[in-house]
Amino acid sequence: MDISRVNGAGDGRDGGVAHGARLVAFTDAAMGGDEGALRAERGALRRVLCGAAFVDTCATIGAFNVVDRIADATGIPLDEFMLARSAGVREELGLARFASARNTPGH
Amino acid sequence: MGAAGLDYSAAGVPVRQDLRDAHQALLDHLRRPGAWLDGAERLAVASEARLAPGCALCRDRKAALSPGSLEGRHECTGALRDALVDVVHRVRTDPGRLSRDWFDRTGVGDGDYVEAVGIAAFSAGLDAFCRALGIPPFPLPEPLPGRPSRRRPEGLTPGIAWVPLLLPQDASGPDADVYGGAPFVPNIVRALSLVPDHVRALRRWSAAHYVEVGDLTARRALDRPQIELVAARVSALNECFY
Repeated sequence: MDISRVNGAGDGRDGGVAHGARLVAFTDAAMGGDEGALRAERGALRRVLCGAAFVDTCATIGAFNVVDRIADATGIPLDEFMLARSAGVREELGLARFASARNTPGH
Repeated sequence: MGAAGLDYSAAGVPVRQDLRDAHQALLDHLRRPGAWLDGAERLAVASEARLAPGCALCRDRKAALSPGSLEGRHECTGALRDALVDVVHRVRTDPGRLSRDWFDRTGVGDGDYVEAVGIAAFSAGLDAFCRALGIPPFPLPEPLPGRPSRRRPEGLTPGIAWVPLLLPQDASGPDADVYGGAPFVPNIVRALSLVPDHVRALRRWSAAHYVEVGDLTARRALDRPQIELVAARVSALNECFY
């Protein structure tokens, strides 16, 4: 999997994830403020995913809009076991650029 | 009006029953008296969170290099005190740039704070689901009567996060079930434990919208890489390091 997709980078290809490009484009539109773009991306995603998978996509968007806020508003540090396991991924994605990285000493 | 009869028809696709149940349960959770806020106050927080994306001060702060550099008044419902309004608006619109310094200066007690954070987060997630799906946000229900319990869990541990946490080994008495006996409880599940019912609500919510904590085998129509790609992209856009 090409994890650069997480940062919205890439050449519009799927990066090793089925319909990855469409999923990222839809997620971006769902998180943005342009209703027209969201309608367009929803239609595009619905053409490649079954209804249940589309609903799962929306559910995941809902899920992480909850937990991201909980994490950043309570200042919880990244769990120790994850800190070690995720070092490479965090560096590759440049996650230290986020202000919330301060909540995890030694990141 | 109760939290019943949620309308998904505009989606044009079936929405699985566990999601419907989770949404109903969440709205029922929000309308009840909590630990520190009564039902009316909790729904006022949810209303305020819904209003926040349209607030000019929040928009300007989001665009500013430093959110703390701009002073002003939030466009708000007027139902909550100013300090709580700022918490709710900031959590809703710019959570990735919240800081310990800001938290220390909110002037909101940690119980009220955690309760409001949970409500603001839940309402953001519920509204995000609806918007992505293409349906209107669910109307908020009427509050249930009753006073907040004002019960602070025993055995809280300070110093790990900005707010004290109830560690699994210390969950006892009425809070003994709060983590459901899970073998491992990550910090994200402990984060709201000053308000134990918020933890229970988060577990129900997550089980339907993502996976149950510790269960990596949950079956979804999306495969695991697809789910994690969407999840990670949301978190990147929210600038969430965790």
